[in-house]
Amino acid sequence: MGTSSSEGTCSAISIEQLSMEFGDPGQGVKALDTVSLEIQSNEFFTLLGPSGCGKTTLLRLIAGFEQPSAGTIRLYGEPMQDLPPFRRPVNTVFQSYALFPHMTVAQNIAFGLEMRGLSKSEIGETVTRMLELVKLPDVGGRRADQLSGGQQQRIALARALANRPKVLLLDESLSALDQKLRKDMQIELKRLQSDTGITFIFVTHDQEEALTMSDRIAVMSKGRVLQVGTPTEIYEAPVNRTVADFIGETNFLAAEAVADGVLLSDGQRLSVAGDRRGAVTVAIRPERVSLAADGQLLGKVENVVYVGTDTVYHLNVAGEGGFRVRQQNRDGALSGYRVGDSVRVHVPSAAIKVLVE
Amino acid sequence: MTTPRLIAERRQLGRRLLLSAPAMLTLLVFMLLPLGIMFVVSILQSGDYGGVKWGEYSFEAYRNFFYERDLDDTLVFNTDYLEIFQRSFWLSILTTAGCLLIGFPTALYLALQTERKRNLLLFLVTVPFWTNLLVRAYAWMLLLRNGGLVDEGLQGLGITDTGLGLLYTNNAVIIGLLYTYLPFMVLPIYTSLEKMDWRLVEAAFDLGANRFHALKRIIVPLAMPGIVAGSILVFIPSLGNYIIPELLGGGKTLMIGNLIQLQFGSSHNWPLGAALSFALLSFVLLAMLVYSVRFKPGNAGGHP
Amino acid sequence: MNTHNPLWRFAGMRPAAWFFFIFLYLPIVVLVVLSFNGGQSATLWGGFSLKWYSVVANDAEVVRAAKNSLIVATLATLISTSLATLAALGMRGRAFRGQTLMSGVLGLPLLVPEIVTAVSTLMFFSFINLKLSLFTILIAHVVFCIPFAYLPIRARLEGMNPYLLEAAADLYASPWKAFWKVTFPLLSPGIISGAMLAFIISMDDFVITYFVAGAGATTLPVYIFSSIRMGISPKINAISSIILVISIAFVALSYYVGQRKR
Repeated sequence: MGTSSSEGTCSAISIEQLSMEFGDPGQGVKALDTVSLEIQSNEFFTLLGPSGCGKTTLLRLIAGFEQPSAGTIRLYGEPMQDLPPFRRPVNTVFQSYALFPHMTVAQNIAFGLEMRGLSKSEIGETVTRMLELVKLPDVGGRRADQLSGGQQQRIALARALANRPKVLLLDESLSALDQKLRKDMQIELKRLQSDTGITFIFVTHDQEEALTMSDRIAVMSKGRVLQVGTPTEIYEAPVNRTVADFIGETNFLAAEAVADGVLLSDGQRLSVAGDRRGAVTVAIRPERVSLAADGQLLGKVENVVYVGTDTVYHLNVAGEGGFRVRQQNRDGALSGYRVGDSVRVHVPSAAIKVLVE
Repeated sequence: MTTPRLIAERRQLGRRLLLSAPAMLTLLVFMLLPLGIMFVVSILQSGDYGGVKWGEYSFEAYRNFFYERDLDDTLVFNTDYLEIFQRSFWLSILTTAGCLLIGFPTALYLALQTERKRNLLLFLVTVPFWTNLLVRAYAWMLLLRNGGLVDEGLQGLGITDTGLGLLYTNNAVIIGLLYTYLPFMVLPIYTSLEKMDWRLVEAAFDLGANRFHALKRIIVPLAMPGIVAGSILVFIPSLGNYIIPELLGGGKTLMIGNLIQLQFGSSHNWPLGAALSFALLSFVLLAMLVYSVRFKPGNAGGHP
Repeated sequence: MNTHNPLWRFAGMRPAAWFFFIFLYLPIVVLVVLSFNGGQSATLWGGFSLKWYSVVANDAEVVRAAKNSLIVATLATLISTSLATLAALGMRGRAFRGQTLMSGVLGLPLLVPEIVTAVSTLMFFSFINLKLSLFTILIAHVVFCIPFAYLPIRARLEGMNPYLLEAAADLYASPWKAFWKVTFPLLSPGIISGAMLAFIISMDDFVITYFVAGAGATTLPVYIFSSIRMGISPKINAISSIILVISIAFVALSYYVGQRKR
């Protein structure tokens, strides 16, 4: 122990062997199962996973609302476990915003500063600056419940940022907004993060949101961290089927790995480098392949779905249906393929990921 | 094995128990303990001049429900108390039926009003609950007495020509009980009707049901939890009511409540009074138990 | 719901509702009107007069009973509301083993028939040799006021967003500060309406008070009961009307407070 605090000069949060179990030890439900993570300073870090994967639990443990069953959390090397939430230099933007309904917007933003005993003038200044930062300079005197959802979200952000936390925790903070507002806020959050230089830990179940905003992503499932990496790494090199399935669209084919490639169940061969042997799963992204007369994979068209920018062909490959090929509609017209046609698919070897699972 | 999580949970539980403790202790000492003492008294011998003989246990009090001890100490079957039980149940059943008859259509009417009007009417339904029952029972004495306003009104309309002599009869007691407990029937039925999805009734109309069928097949079944809750809320307290039979029954129409009171007043038979109270309490708790098993909270709108 | 749509006019619904409201309010209206009767009879109208109110106001016994009622109701309200507020705060949060039982005990006074509570309390005081007095009345009132104060407070707490407290803690408020800055202001309408209900219930109680009241410790309802026993009189009309109007004013006020704070 102690290595991370002395060496990790810019590790904002380091989590070691963190577990959390509801109920009696050994027989309760495991919300988190021995999770270890390093989150760097100034990073926009995202915890991504389906609901119930433990991402919100992890966030609440960092904030101090819950106590772990085992493991440690350090903030810039300082162990956090004995600090109650109100002594931790982190702030949270809640999913439901949790703005105090009996206070004005300005009083909400001032709350944390007041609790820390800052002077009145300092508080007033900060509140004004924060309202400007979130581009709502005129709403200070209004009550929180008189604001729209998008405005409440900005105020919740301002209330947390006013305290200049070392780390800002955001719990599904955009999920209550409509599509358009959400896109705007994604850009704005990213701007705020680089402007303030604060480490953001963002929890979401929306993979597109995660890919758009994050410096790094941790993909979680069933209380475990499956993979940590940049958006490109996560998308291009998923470590297993769950990650590949959760991030973007993926076709999976059961296969057997042999010396110079993989054999599909109907005997078709795809050449790919690798030294794995035995039963494997082949993952292929629909947009990385194309229909071509000289393609190496044979399939039969089951369905053709026109989605504006693209056309998606659902093929039956090696006796399994639902293999998708996504073609951009560059020429603005449907190609000539019809349901029932036999087609060939061109699969670049870089598009093939062999997963052992 | 203790984890930080378990320690935190235990500390918080301790704090919560500490907060609840004053109220809990008050109720344990001044409510549950007295009920326990009441049970003990019910199996004690009655004292010669009131009170009880501590340490002398007997089921005499429960035997008293049905038998009387003659001068030569033989048990003689006695219907006096049975009659009072019977009357209490009968009057309570009639009251419940009457409340249902008036209460259901009233609740339906309330549920169908616009929100503004509904809130005002609901307020009017609840007001009497918060006013003194003694005083309101007294008001009925003014109305029902010989030559009172009900008599005068009916004679003025030419419906009757002599006094009805309503006060101090079973009818007066029923009117009083009905008056006391009607809001207790209206409110739960209203609550289940208010939660109801009225599109279901529209669907019934759409499928060819007329109003009567919609009422019988859709509205009443869906309001059933409210109807049952209301019936219990009316029946149980009217069974043990003391004020109404005392004032409007004039001491002639005794119910269980008055019988209990008598044992602590002129009859000086505490064990019998305690036994009667215990029987009444057991009946109430049993009814609540059956209710909570058959109508679990949170399944409003479900079928019985 | 469109009330003007004839589709929703069920036969007999409107007459029943009319009957219900007339039945409910007729006795109250008659009583209040008769309290202004100038004649000697309780029911025969003899012209408008405030005479019986002045008779009541100058009756030392009535004034003493009213004072007793006020003392008991005020103290019972203060004590029961404090106990209920603490209990409601303790019952908030993740359910623990035995919590259902504890809520059951808190609601027990609502479940047990009044007459049973009355006689068991009487026997308890006799068992511990406590002399009946205003003090025994106060104890009994605190007990049955607890659930009336508890329920609105609990309901208010349940409707409170649990994340608000976490937000306060997140913003550096200690539990003590979080209580006074967040929980208490949001809870206060519940506490006020709970206290009002407790006050009315205590002021109005007759059955339990009647059993545990010692000699000389007469409250207003007990006084009214013993007067009624001697026969109806215009004086009782006046006292009764005062009590009714006070209760109704209180309920209306608590209703108004509840509507405004929504």
